[in-house]
Amino acid sequence: MNLLPQFLIDSILLGGLYTLMAIGFALAFGVTRIINFAHGEFIMLGAYAAFWLFTGWGLDPLVVMPAVIVLGFACGWLLFKAFIERVLTAPNINQILLTFAIGLVIQHIAVILWSGDSRSTTPEYALKALTIGDAFIPYGRLVGCGVAVLLVAMLIAWLKWTEDGRAVRAVAQNSDAATLMGINVKGIYALSFALSSALGVATGVVVSFIITVTPFMGFPMLVKAVAIVIVAGMGSIVGMVVGAFVLAFAETGFAYYVTEGSGWAEGVAFVLITAILIIRPYGLFGDAEA
Amino acid sequence: MRPELFLRWAGFVLAVAVLAVPFIGSPSLADLTFRTCTLAIIAISWNMMAGAGLISLGHSGFWGVGSYVAILSANHFGVPFLPSLLFGMLGGAMIGAGLALITGRLRGIYFAVATLAMSEGLRVMAVMLPDLTGGAQGAYLNSALFPGALAVNIAASCGAVLAACLSWYVSRTRYHYAFRAMRANERASQMLGIHPMLYRVSIVIVSGALASYAGAVSVWYGGYLDPGVAFNLHITLMAQIAPILGGIYTLAGPILGTLAAAGLGEVTRQWLGHVEGVSLLLFGVTLAICVLYLPKGIQGGIDRLFRPVAKAPLADDSTPTRTTR
Amino acid sequence: MTELLSLSNIRAGYGESVVLQDLSLVVREGEMVCLIGANGAGKTTTTRVLTGLLKPWGGQVAFAGTPIDKVAAHHRVELGVSLAPEGRQVFPNLTVNENLLLGSYSRRARPQRKRTLADVYDLFPILASRRMQKAGLMSGGEQQMLAIARALMARPKLLVLDEPSLGLAPKIIVDVYRAIVQTAEQGVSILFVEQNVRAALSIAHRGYVLANGRIAFAGSAAELRNSKLVQEAFLAPRRTNQGPAPIKASPIGTQREGGCA
Repeated sequence: MNLLPQFLIDSILLGGLYTLMAIGFALAFGVTRIINFAHGEFIMLGAYAAFWLFTGWGLDPLVVMPAVIVLGFACGWLLFKAFIERVLTAPNINQILLTFAIGLVIQHIAVILWSGDSRSTTPEYALKALTIGDAFIPYGRLVGCGVAVLLVAMLIAWLKWTEDGRAVRAVAQNSDAATLMGINVKGIYALSFALSSALGVATGVVVSFIITVTPFMGFPMLVKAVAIVIVAGMGSIVGMVVGAFVLAFAETGFAYYVTEGSGWAEGVAFVLITAILIIRPYGLFGDAEA
Repeated sequence: MRPELFLRWAGFVLAVAVLAVPFIGSPSLADLTFRTCTLAIIAISWNMMAGAGLISLGHSGFWGVGSYVAILSANHFGVPFLPSLLFGMLGGAMIGAGLALITGRLRGIYFAVATLAMSEGLRVMAVMLPDLTGGAQGAYLNSALFPGALAVNIAASCGAVLAACLSWYVSRTRYHYAFRAMRANERASQMLGIHPMLYRVSIVIVSGALASYAGAVSVWYGGYLDPGVAFNLHITLMAQIAPILGGIYTLAGPILGTLAAAGLGEVTRQWLGHVEGVSLLLFGVTLAICVLYLPKGIQGGIDRLFRPVAKAPLADDSTPTRTTR
Repeated sequence: MTELLSLSNIRAGYGESVVLQDLSLVVREGEMVCLIGANGAGKTTTTRVLTGLLKPWGGQVAFAGTPIDKVAAHHRVELGVSLAPEGRQVFPNLTVNENLLLGSYSRRARPQRKRTLADVYDLFPILASRRMQKAGLMSGGEQQMLAIARALMARPKLLVLDEPSLGLAPKIIVDVYRAIVQTAEQGVSILFVEQNVRAALSIAHRGYVLANGRIAFAGSAAELRNSKLVQEAFLAPRRTNQGPAPIKASPIGTQREGGCA
């Protein structure tokens, strides 16, 4: 039985998802240089939002996504202004611990409110699949990947062609020079963080019909996002896409070709992190300005 | 009485108390003391690394390694209690050395991420190698080797006292200044003739060994181990909260913070223990509040209280130029 | 001529080190004024205070007659002050064109962007030919032109340049200075900060000498050129490669005579 076509399809679909996950995370990191350890929790919140809207009102996750994204944006903005802004110039350790703590708090509020049980949304298309020859393409994953790619493309277009998008890129490269241009750097930080949260929430909505939803789902996804960003290096969107697909292929490869691989697949992200830190700490595509 | 003298006496009294409780305390007090001592050990361990500018988000990795080495050496090789603790420490030291060497010169965020990778990677390995570790099902410690509750409690208490003494000793040597320099600017510290790699590796080894000791003692106490218990994120969290709550980079900080955290933990257990997730929520909030509003923790509070009288001479960041001793 | 920029009794520094003790200078409309001083004298500190990137501990900055100390750094561009910073500070991963578009980010400059862009490309043809190139890949001289062009995109009344000749070959310096003069001819007032005294005095109308955190000497370009102070400190033939000799001026206000303290 030839597993290859299935392997390729699964890897590619996963890669699309991972790209969205990584870019959402990288946006905040690249601009503010703060690792948002709560990013996984935003993904989790998005997934729960989709779940409750689906279960409560029968609304399709894709339909609610725009509204949820806006909500995620607002929450991210508030979170930044209320807490994160204060540690912008603080030592690394404060930043790390603060976002870590925030993630923990959100996670356990979720545990208290919604218990640790697993959930998932099951819109119609998530249950169907397409078959092409040997390969079996679950609709849910296909749609998920499509939406992810669309969102990433929209973000890239925004960054490249709009005034504020350009300002964001400028701030990421040189915040003093950006100030001289008349750019309100603090505002751009807040904007980037809010956008990052919005994308995180969108990731959550998308995966709500692909994987199980629990309060603890965020952390492993954060680790994968971090792994991708480290593999890619800072400052390169292309690198991030490549990194996302590298991780997707590696994990899927393990699951398919190694006995009991799906368990080991969880460890792939860590191995990648370690390997890159040894070989080329600034990532495959990064500028050595980290 | 000057604060430093007060704290020294308090520390002495505390050490005596902690060593005495296993002998004369009630079982519940002994239990509380045990958990407080293991927390103190990892708090001191975390604080040591942080003092050199190395932020660990994976302290549960060291704890887990210590636990697994202890239980495996006991179960597979019949190693008795004390030697298994030593093996546990050795395991932690080796992992620490590996971590320090792999991360080379990487600092701050990159180092933190590497520690995360280490601990989670170890957890996955523990799950995926059931022949060795018992996998996700876990393993029970061979009860024939159990040395008795008293011995285990004393081991924890001694460990805590020794860890405190060790951190006091390090703060009195020139290593202390090397670490402070490294914390501020590792590249610049090289110009002072400090070889960062050597100091980095040594502090991570010591720190790792301490944390592993705590894990090893715990597994003898609990008698059961699985990857979730061994590499619990909770451990990493507490290892950070205690020093920060108490006063990061200071000597007494980890201990003060341990006491406060243990107290907080007990209170929440009494009142809200039945609601899942509350204690971690509270600890998360505590951590956030400390980072934002109380960066110097309890120790800082004490300093401020006594400032009109005398400045606290314990080494910390707030005093710009100060020579202790 | 009206006073465009005035710094009065500025006291500023970093952490515990005081760089500017008591700095006062003035730029009037239509002038080209240079601020010269040795390495570390505080020239860049001055430009940072001026643009709001550094908060001074004392003194006042005023633009077009009104104090702007309370104006945030990113709003000062709107007033008409634009800086080409030390070390160029172009956005390395953005193209030349994108760098220039960012120069006209401010509300003041955005409406006339197309025209300003065309003007700027005329002034710096070399940038036009490198329009789509990533700024970080350009040579030092090209980056300097880009930094100036980018600052001009903001349509400033006052253009401030921090060490425009630093690290550039003499021929490139000529090109850069020519562009500066052409800009001045179009009505933009110029304040530039320089270590290269010869070049600076060759185009400036007036100049200040910054030493020990204060203005040690001020006057017209000719006065500066003829002053013993400047000659000994900056224009004397160098015996070592140490750069200008330290100025042993007495730290008392400005000197107006041709001789020195």
